[in-house]
Order: sequence, then structure tokens, then C-alpha cells
Amino acid sequence: MAKIAYYPGCALNERSSHLDRSARDATVRLGFELDELDTWTCCGAVPPVSEERVMNLIAPSRILKDVRDSGRDILITICDFCYNTLKRTNYSIKSDEITRKRVNAFLADDTPERDYLEKDDSLWEDYAGEVKVIHLMEYLRDELGYDKITESLRRSLNGLKIAPYYGCVMLRPQNEIQLDDPENPSIIEDFVTALGAQSVAYPYRTECCGSYLSVSSPEASTRLCYRILTSARNNGADAIVVSCPLCFYNLDSRQKAISEAYSDFTPVPIFYFTQLLSVALGVEFGRQGFEKHYVDVTPVLDRIGINTGLGGVE
Amino acid sequence: MSENTGLAPPKSPPIRLTREIVNAGFKQRVNELSGQHMDACYQCGNCSSGCPLAQEMDILPSRVMRLVQLGQSDDIINGGTIWICASCFQCTVRCPKGIDIQAVMDALRQIAMEEGVDHFGPDQISPELAASVPQPGLVGVYRKLAT
Repeated sequence: MAKIAYYPGCALNERSSHLDRSARDATVRLGFELDELDTWTCCGAVPPVSEERVMNLIAPSRILKDVRDSGRDILITICDFCYNTLKRTNYSIKSDEITRKRVNAFLADDTPERDYLEKDDSLWEDYAGEVKVIHLMEYLRDELGYDKITESLRRSLNGLKIAPYYGCVMLRPQNEIQLDDPENPSIIEDFVTALGAQSVAYPYRTECCGSYLSVSSPEASTRLCYRILTSARNNGADAIVVSCPLCFYNLDSRQKAISEAYSDFTPVPIFYFTQLLSVALGVEFGRQGFEKHYVDVTPVLDRIGINTGLGGVE
Repeated sequence: MSENTGLAPPKSPPIRLTREIVNAGFKQRVNELSGQHMDACYQCGNCSSGCPLAQEMDILPSRVMRLVQLGQSDDIINGGTIWICASCFQCTVRCPKGIDIQAVMDALRQIAMEEGVDHFGPDQISPELAASVPQPGLVGVYRKLAT
């Protein structure tokens, strides 16, 4: 089975472990394995903008350099923040010579200690952006192909109306990310269709859910999420699909605060794309971590006849 | 605040520019930190109309751009806009002049923090929130809003 370097990031390692597990379950059934890096650190979640803050580039660069040094050229991430940070760091190392030199000067400074521990005598080689950072969904679309997913389905999600939610950092800034059109993307829509479900069009799919404002200004995030969720619901969605742990947190857990603030609000279940994928590929219901969700997802799955008891569909 | 959902902040009074209130090096500093050209902005207002958080702001993004052009640092540094911006890049994507407005906001936050204005400290987060928000949210908020 093909093994592909995989950077889970801190959220998937702990608080969003259900995203990690469903991704691993699903990819094994699709014929490849997510091979977690031996050592990794936090990527820093947000890339720095000004040149002066070169320090914030060091952690993601070290992760990327370790992947290059292990002889691999593709790195898969799932968390949108990690994806954005790693990909943009790689972009600035690749496109800007000054950044590349600065970052490598720091990285080279790191190595003596490592030499002492690991007796590494190999020659120093500057990291120049050789690794290609890709999102798991991008891998499914471009390398594996959505047709292959449709062929491998054990259980079509036919009858389910799903609203894709992109959020902000998965698509933007588009000149550096280049995953899809920043204003009119289709990567999640096509994914949902490949699973046999129907994708719902609504205007708020690329609007921000408030991101880290859920910590500093929770009320602002509540208002944004209310708009997104209600718009999806009014356009006929049974559920929303996301790929980012923070979008998930905002859209799912925040529904408690939204229900208190808005009397007309009806809860909408939220899925990670990997959960829908692994349900459709026949992974047991009990392995999906649905108990971590604030809004119960079982009524929606029950309705299309997916056994939400303990057993799987096999 | 839910009753005025969708409303833009009120129009502010005209400013009389004098030597005393114009911060001459401010625009230059923002240009250097963000790598953008503030003078490229021609005030079309696309950033403000697309901003999902515009209704939470006291100064709209397009107005922030104009105030930087005019060297009006105090209003921006002491205002709420730079701290409510969630860095979602909507403005950056839509700017017809190709200005990375999110980078400008980041530069402004950096300038504010250099002057000792931290927006959100570790003591301001509730323990329940700290125990439940996914880590990108925690790391992100402190990287963006605190020194």
C-alpha cells in the first residue's frame, strides 16, 4: 500500500481526533496510507505577513525540510490552517530568495544539537521549497480521482442534501494556495456528488465563520455562524460538510449560543468530509467520533437508511 | 447588537488635516511592514462591501486604507477594526488593485502592539474555552492579537 507523508497538526492529534481517525480509515480503504511524520511540531497556525517576523516561518520550514530529507516530495495535511501555513511558507521560501536565505540560516543553526544527538554527518543542503504541500481533498481529486471514490463506495449517500462550507484559509490567498477558484470553488461540491449525495448551493459557503474570533470576540462569531447556518438551511441543506477543525468548532459548538440568541434557529448537523467519506466507504458508525458533535448527526443518517447502531454496513 | 445586523457604521465627521495630527512616517512604515503600496488604493470600497465582519467594525476597511494614506494613525491604532478582522482574505481576493489588505491589517496590528496595545491577553480567556477550542484557534488568536 502506498504510503504518503502526512502532517496531522495539533488539533487532529487531540481535540479533533475524529477528523484524523476518519481520514485514516477512509484512505486505507481507498488504497493508500497516511504515514504520519516521525517528528513534527506545531506549524504556527497563521503565517507571518511582514518580513521582520521570520521567526514564525521557522517551525513550518523545519517540518518541510524534514520531509525533504526523508526523501519524499509530497506532504498531505487536512487541517486548513496547517495547509495554509505550510503551503504559504513553502511558497515564500520558493519565490523569495531573501526569505530562503534567512530561514535556512536559522535552520542550519539548529543542526549542531541534532548532530550531537543523531550523529548526522551529511552535508548541509538548503531547503528551497522542494516539497509539495497538498490537502487531502486535493489528493483525492487530483491524484486518486473522484471516480475512484465513486467506484469504491459501499454505501451511496443518495438522498442527502449537503451544503459544502469552504471557510477562508482553504482557498485564500489564491495566488499562493491555488487549490480552486477563491470565489466560485467546486472541489467540495464535486466531492459530495462523488459520494452520491446532492450538493446544495447557498451564498455563504466562502464566508468566514469568525476563525479565531470565537476566542476573542465570541458574539461576532455567533452572528457570522448564524448567517451561514441559516442560509444553508433555507436553501434546503440537511447538513454541512467542512474540512477545518476550527470551522467545525465554530459551526457546531456555537449552535448552542446561536439557539439562545435567535429564537427562529433550527440546528444543522456538521460533518467532516472524511466522516462522510468513511461512512460511504463502509467504516463502522461507531468509529466516526460522532459523540464529539454538539448537534446530533444520527437523524440525518437514519433517514437515508444508514445503520447508526453499533454495527457497520458490512 | 443583533438588531442592527447588516448596518454599516455611521459616517464619521470630516477631518481637518494639520501638521499636528498627520503622522508623516506612518504610511511608509505600513508599506514596509506589509509589502504593499498604500497609495494604490483608489477607494472603490470593494473590501468594505465584501468584509463579513464590516458590521462589527467602527472603521470600515476602505476607510482604514484612506486613513493610512492620510497618516491618521491614532484613529486606527486605538480603534476596534484591526482587532475584529479575522484575516479571512476576502478583501485581499476582491481588491481590484491587487492590494493585500489583510497584510495591511497585520502590519497595523504589529504597529499597535509595538506601541504596547495588546488586544487579548492569556488572562482574558475562559477556562472552558481554553479547554475546548481547537488549537489553531488558540495559537491563531495569540499570534494575531497579542505580542
